[in-house]
Amino acid sequence: MPRVWSGAAVLVVVLALCLVLPQLYANQFLFFDLMVYLALAQGVNILYGFTGYLPFGYVGFFGTGAYGMSLAVLKLHLPPVPAVLAGGVAAVVLGLVLAPLLRLSGAYFAIASLAASQAVYYVVANPSLTGVTRGPYGISLARVYHPSQSYLVMVGVLGLTLAAVLYLRRSRRGMVLQAIRDDPQSAAMAGVNVVRERVLAWLASALIAGLVGGVFAWQISVFYPATVFDLSTSIMAIVFTLFGGTGTLLGPVLGVTVLFGLYNVIGVSEPQYFQLIYGALIVLLVLFLPGGAASLLKRRGIDVL
Amino acid sequence: MLVYALTAGVLFGLFYSLVGLGLNLVFGVLRMVNLAHGQFVMLGGFAAYLAYVRLGWHPLVTMVVAAALFLGIGYLLYPLFAPRLAASTDPEMISLVFFFGVAEMIQALAVIGFGNNQRSIYAPVFGAAPVRLLGERFPAAWVVSGGVSLLALLAVYLYLYRSRLGYATRAVMASREEALVSGLSVGRISALAFGIGLALAAAGGVLSPFLLGGVNPGVGVGLTMTAFAVVVLGSLGNPLGTVLGGLIYGVSLMLMQSYLSEWTNLLPYLLLLVVLLVRPSGLLGRGVRHA
Amino acid sequence: MRMRRLIGWRMAAGAALLGMGALVAGCGTSAAPTAKAPTQITVGTLYAGSGAFATSSLPEYQGLQFWAQQVNAKGGAFVKAYNKRIKVKIVAYNDQSSATTATTLYTQLITQNKVNLLVADFGSVLTSVAVPIAREHKTVLFDITGTGASFFTPNNKYIVLTSLPTSGVWPESLAGFLLHKGIKRVAILYLTNDFDQSQATTLASRLKAGGVTPVYDHGVPTSTSSYNVLIHAMAQSKPDAVIELGYPNNDIAFLQALASSGQHFNMVFTVFPGQLLSLLQKNVGAKGLAYTYTYPTPPLLAYNKVNYGLSLSQFTKAFQAQTHTGVNFLTIAGYNAGLVIQKTLDTAKSLRQSDLRQAVAGFSGKIFTLDGRFRINSEGAQVGETLPVGQLVPTTKGLQMVVVYPAKVKTGSSVYPAP
Repeated sequence: MPRVWSGAAVLVVVLALCLVLPQLYANQFLFFDLMVYLALAQGVNILYGFTGYLPFGYVGFFGTGAYGMSLAVLKLHLPPVPAVLAGGVAAVVLGLVLAPLLRLSGAYFAIASLAASQAVYYVVANPSLTGVTRGPYGISLARVYHPSQSYLVMVGVLGLTLAAVLYLRRSRRGMVLQAIRDDPQSAAMAGVNVVRERVLAWLASALIAGLVGGVFAWQISVFYPATVFDLSTSIMAIVFTLFGGTGTLLGPVLGVTVLFGLYNVIGVSEPQYFQLIYGALIVLLVLFLPGGAASLLKRRGIDVL
Repeated sequence: MLVYALTAGVLFGLFYSLVGLGLNLVFGVLRMVNLAHGQFVMLGGFAAYLAYVRLGWHPLVTMVVAAALFLGIGYLLYPLFAPRLAASTDPEMISLVFFFGVAEMIQALAVIGFGNNQRSIYAPVFGAAPVRLLGERFPAAWVVSGGVSLLALLAVYLYLYRSRLGYATRAVMASREEALVSGLSVGRISALAFGIGLALAAAGGVLSPFLLGGVNPGVGVGLTMTAFAVVVLGSLGNPLGTVLGGLIYGVSLMLMQSYLSEWTNLLPYLLLLVVLLVRPSGLLGRGVRHA
Repeated sequence: MRMRRLIGWRMAAGAALLGMGALVAGCGTSAAPTAKAPTQITVGTLYAGSGAFATSSLPEYQGLQFWAQQVNAKGGAFVKAYNKRIKVKIVAYNDQSSATTATTLYTQLITQNKVNLLVADFGSVLTSVAVPIAREHKTVLFDITGTGASFFTPNNKYIVLTSLPTSGVWPESLAGFLLHKGIKRVAILYLTNDFDQSQATTLASRLKAGGVTPVYDHGVPTSTSSYNVLIHAMAQSKPDAVIELGYPNNDIAFLQALASSGQHFNMVFTVFPGQLLSLLQKNVGAKGLAYTYTYPTPPLLAYNKVNYGLSLSQFTKAFQAQTHTGVNFLTIAGYNAGLVIQKTLDTAKSLRQSDLRQAVAGFSGKIFTLDGRFRINSEGAQVGETLPVGQLVPTTKGLQMVVVYPAKVKTGSSVYPAP
């Protein structure tokens, strides 16, 4: 089977599962949250796996998307779906503003993006902007609350995200990006517009987080700034991605499914030792599987797409 | 008010310099990001609290003991994880995941062992009356903490720039590969650096209840993030830069509290962004590779 | 003692997530209430075992657990719908103070555990996400301390606030006290979150209406832990009264900083000594709290003339005997939520959520518990309880709470200015 078809098959299977599972197990939000992390992990993957930039402050785009969506509903009276798109656009605009950060590399970039996300958070939550963002009082979208619709839209956003990663895995653009990641100087000498390609990947990944944030806001509908700018969202998305293995389609899917799954299994069965068991598992997994979970499959000759 | 804010900022900033320095040293030598640094600081805070309440130890005594203890722990732990992580494709980044797990474990154990409640030490342990400095009155604990941080920073400076081992440490920081080739025992030097990093975290931690109003298992994440900001502000891998980064952080925070308190948390991050965009390698950076 | 609350299939269901597809096997075994009397009444709730809200959430959860044990010791709660006593079982998950995790877990309680009654976790942040879910699933949310004003709207009948009034109402008597005392120079320092800022806004506007403009009125981020420079900045405005509105950890840090700053103000007010006195005292000492003001809540306000549940002194004795931990406001609030649930079961004609809510409206204003009068308005917000102003006065027997305002609940006069 050509790889492009197996990739498409993975996409269809994941989406179909996301549609079917809530029918079998009624905790819909659990699957919604799972999709949020599946999409965010692929967003991190597009940036880190294909360009080598690790965005610690990825949640900045997520929160911006959530607020963009909410304000589009509350101030512009848009219906929810266009408002989610507005959330995506808001995140892209933020991405453009922050594009100069791409001049940094390694840990510098990681920290700078973290600082940027915190700066956005403190602006949004600031009491002097209560008239605009409702500041610390948070958002209530009771009027448009519709968890089953927002669930379907989330499936759509996840589909788009997976398709984007498939495209990068299969296209010349993806190869160009990875060439830049591995050796920017040679890529530039080979006539690649290094800056443009990086900025495009950055904006694509911002768009994903923005859309996801927008749908998330719609799904939970009542939230405080701290809920959507929670740094642990970034950290979890990054940890899931790195754990699964980057630069592939299946790696992050695997990482999210295993770690997010564990998180919830432990969370509902052993609430007291939740955090301890979770931390210990991560430590052990990383020590004994440092190449990410996808490396296990690769070693057995399974294509991780 | 200006003089007060500036002085308080310097005292407060020295504390963050101390906390940041440990993180920077570990990153510089091991090329690993210790995401659990703040949790080690938190443990230092609990050590100070327990030693004071149960054993009646003066925090400065606890500081010496805790630092020595953490130095040993770090030195012994290093061989258990570092070689395995180094074998992965991107150790710098996979270390993030590893230390995230460590941070979760430490925090969970702290909750189990100490409970969730805020613990603080009766401040007058450093002297009941405020200390006069530049014509203003400051809490004694702040002045002591500033002085102790300064001494600890000086000790690290002497170690790095005046001792043979420190010289070797800096060689590893400059280039791990070259250090390996030239026959330095990179493993031992790294283990020691990791130990010193934890020792500095513990030392800062002992001071933390006095500067942050107390300690609880949840303070680690925030401390790690602030320490990061301080380190990058000064430039990664440059110990002196971290001192400067801490001072800038402390002073800007206190100036904001005095004049524009609603925006307090924004300034340090904006400052960090501006510094990074104008001088990407940090204030005292020597220039990093850029394509 | 901990409730047994492990249900095997839950783990199976969660584990299925790992294999995604394997989930099919794990479901279909949950026990839905039948037309016959159920063998037990399930009360679902969340608690924060760690993180920012754990300090407050755990005592509240303990209070609720204590209530369940009390009820079960008598053979269960009387359920009018079946005209018999039925045992109560608490199903609880740990949300670790994360609102997103809480969202999953509230949904779990409703959709999987199909709990008969849903109780929110502590505080506004962790309650907020439950409000739309409860409404969507037409389940009444028994909200213990989530006092965000936005939760209570005319068309949402699925929320009942059992303990405190919404936070914007809290400072009414504080403003009254300041005006009554003729204190003209007031400094307000608050955290910029819903809970504290809504109080600050009310306080400032009441003071202004009384002709007093605060000399210092600033917010600081919720993560603030260093108050030294802020105290110094406030002192520059020469206030007579300093009002600090924070969360417990902020109040501790503030009082610590104040004690070592060498500054003295005629009046200092903080929120949490009135709710978590022993925690605060452990941290800042009796000296650090002497002559400070707060909103006293039970057990500092003693409601011993109750017509439902244990009185304060009975509760304190029984709770300490059983758990060997002290009583604070949040344990009382948790226990009180249990009492409201008990009364609901006692009067509702069926276990349908609409009947439960109707039952609550029916006894609203009629029961008086150790937490004061229980009365809700049509939106479900608590209006029966009031928060007076109290002062902690040092005596030979330790700190004594003296209620100083308003006049009808007053137990003594304030010591002003503070020595």
